[in-house]
Amino acid sequence: MATAVYEDRLERMWQPRPGVLGWLMTTDHKRIGLLYFWTTLVLFAAGGAEALLMRTQLIAPNQHLLGPATYDEIFTMHGLTMIFFFIIPMTTGAFGNYLLPLMIGARDMAFPRMNALSYWVFLGSGIFIYTSLFLGMAPNAGWFDYVPLANAVYDPGHAIDFFCLGIIFNGISSSLTAANFIVTIFKLRAPGMSFNRMPLFCFAFLAASFGLLFALPSLTADSIFLFLDRNVGTHFFDVAHGGSALLWQHLFWIFGHPEVYILIVPAFGIATEIIPAFTQRRVVAFPLVAVAELLVVFIGFGVWAHHMFATGMPTITVVFFAAATAVVVIPSTIQVFAWCMTFITGNARFKTPLLFIAGFIFMFVAGGLTGIMFLAVPFDQQVTDTYFVVAHFHYIIFGAAVFPIFGGLYFWFPKVTGRLYFELPGQISFWIIFVGTNLLFFPMHLVGLDGMPRRQYTYPAGLGWGPDNLAETIGSYITTAGIVLLLANLVYSWFRGPVAGPDPWHGATLEWTIPSPPPEYNFAVIPKVSSAYANWDYEDREEDRRKLEQGAMVLEQGHEQPVSSTVDGWWREIVEMPHDSPWPIVLAFALSLVFLFVLLHLYTVACFAAGAVGLTLLGWHGEEPQESEA
Amino acid sequence: MSDYVAGGRAERTVPRSTGVGIWGMAMLVASEVTLFGTFIGTYYYLRFTDLHWPPPGTPEPRVVVPLVLAGVLATTSLPMQLAATAVRRGRLWRARALLVLALLVQSGYLGYEVHDYVHQLHASQPQDNAYSSIYYTLLGADHAHVGVGILLGIWLLWKLGGGLTPYRRNATQAVAFYWHAVNILTLVVIGVLTSAAV
Repeated sequence: MATAVYEDRLERMWQPRPGVLGWLMTTDHKRIGLLYFWTTLVLFAAGGAEALLMRTQLIAPNQHLLGPATYDEIFTMHGLTMIFFFIIPMTTGAFGNYLLPLMIGARDMAFPRMNALSYWVFLGSGIFIYTSLFLGMAPNAGWFDYVPLANAVYDPGHAIDFFCLGIIFNGISSSLTAANFIVTIFKLRAPGMSFNRMPLFCFAFLAASFGLLFALPSLTADSIFLFLDRNVGTHFFDVAHGGSALLWQHLFWIFGHPEVYILIVPAFGIATEIIPAFTQRRVVAFPLVAVAELLVVFIGFGVWAHHMFATGMPTITVVFFAAATAVVVIPSTIQVFAWCMTFITGNARFKTPLLFIAGFIFMFVAGGLTGIMFLAVPFDQQVTDTYFVVAHFHYIIFGAAVFPIFGGLYFWFPKVTGRLYFELPGQISFWIIFVGTNLLFFPMHLVGLDGMPRRQYTYPAGLGWGPDNLAETIGSYITTAGIVLLLANLVYSWFRGPVAGPDPWHGATLEWTIPSPPPEYNFAVIPKVSSAYANWDYEDREEDRRKLEQGAMVLEQGHEQPVSSTVDGWWREIVEMPHDSPWPIVLAFALSLVFLFVLLHLYTVACFAAGAVGLTLLGWHGEEPQESEA
Repeated sequence: MSDYVAGGRAERTVPRSTGVGIWGMAMLVASEVTLFGTFIGTYYYLRFTDLHWPPPGTPEPRVVVPLVLAGVLATTSLPMQLAATAVRRGRLWRARALLVLALLVQSGYLGYEVHDYVHQLHASQPQDNAYSSIYYTLLGADHAHVGVGILLGIWLLWKLGGGLTPYRRNATQAVAFYWHAVNILTLVVIGVLTSAAV
């Protein structure tokens, strides 16, 4: 049979190196996605342990499990970990890397070696920042690290230097990933996939990538300034010498607010894949949802100062930013209505992934409603720095970003492992997590309105905050139990689950057209695409099978991949993709040394390490992949 | 589409699109330009929160010489672009010569500017006040980008010494693109910094 012959040839051509070396040198987006997944899972456990420590400390008034200094380190590391080392790498790194090329019908990312580099740099930055915790010098001024608290006078030692350098280090990884996604989405879509035929998941990741690319430089600049202020003696944030403490906050939130959308927009993308699969219906108002995903991030760049309403900015500024923030409601609401209408008009089967998406919509609306309350500036000034804010952003970040991640884990588990999870424990885990998170975060609204301040390691008795805090702590244990059940279900299913087959959900997009787990080359035939729901276009899939028998569009003469035109997705040319390479991991190691030596103030040695980075780049570019001709 | 991909191979009649590598360089430039945008935003934020700019006791920046030099640097965009065109047409020697010409001007610029930077440090230090802090940071960041461009140029010259490949054609175009961005950045940065004396 001709089909087997061509699949055999592809198999030989794309075979990875065996063993550990194959993983260290891999440029396969699926392997890199899995590496990201396991690493972020470990960091998620660390961030979760920090959360549990804080909740245990706050279980009752006047507890002394953690001292004030340790508590400062723990809540700072919790914030940093969950944002920079769990959600961003989990959504973009793990989900995006694994799924995005599959959804656009590509065989790899546009820059496979750079993709590997962003993983190894991410791993280096994670080790870097967690080294601080083990040395007892963890960042301790909150994840947004306001000056003057974070300057050298009030926070001597290395704690904040770890913050500055760790953030810049991590930002390099995220920028590389973002650039890679943008180019991949623009150029590597299967021929025929014009932008209006691209799955909504990809629009969401495009929006998040643009957000990362343009938001991170602001944080990088801010961290450079703070590092210089602390270690060189410059005066960016020093009011006594013409600097400005508010400058830190502006630059931080110019990054920080788009960051919120960078966290949740990929989750929107996950939702827009799960909903059609379990309602067997195309998402209502497809173009509006696609535009809304992009608009949320775009508008997100113009609202940063609403984090600073209590800093005494001029009234006109405050009013402008309050109004701009109100505009974000429009694209968010478009999406919520589109999801709900798809539920209502479709034939919803409430399996575990869809349950998580329903929970996500509930949590997102609840968190969004408290978000709108902050527009009322006097109210905002009243609740700033209280647990009300903590409740709001945990509804958004846990409810709207992490719920879809859990849903996505169940949804794509059969694709990645080839096995089905067990449905009943899955549904039970959803209900435990749903009840747990609401018990954990809802009472925070109440104690916040009662005036309980955030970031304090304990609170006195007699203020009526005890019962709510006890409920929150119980909620945190329940949530943890739910997450453990979720993971246990997946681990057990991995070994004992029923075989899933290529398409257990009758999913909408291209990843369901190929075997589970996907072969190294992803697609035996470069797929034909004539709508955004390619797996439901049976004639196209039939045509793909015929082509495979004839060996048409197989491209088996190397690591070959077609490149398409940017907007219309027209066939342009075939390019040869790079193979396994040792350079990404070597470069990431050299870069880690640069940051280590800068941290230790060994600037001359750091220059030598930077030279090593340059030499590595020379080696990297010594191999010339057969690229397209411009 | 399927007309000209019969058999899995595209006919060469299809119009070529921009190479993936150029897109990568565009992403790098977008990121760096945003970083400089943040630096310049910081410059004006600090300027408008201060009464005196530069503060008393800190020398005003020179205007004419830096602007003229930035203008001279900007002219290297022409040989860089011509080199990219020459490489596309397969004229290797022409490309090498243009590249050497551009590198000479660029290195001369950077050499003088670094010398001047060190010289200025005798009169005022970044530790003096917020004005000096952002002045030296912004200027130093720009010089660093010129320096990286020169390294890229030298690397490219070395690569072109070994003949032409599609990869090197793309690289020449990408490096030319980088230089256009750096030249515009330098003009803007010098313009912003000299504005304190105008």
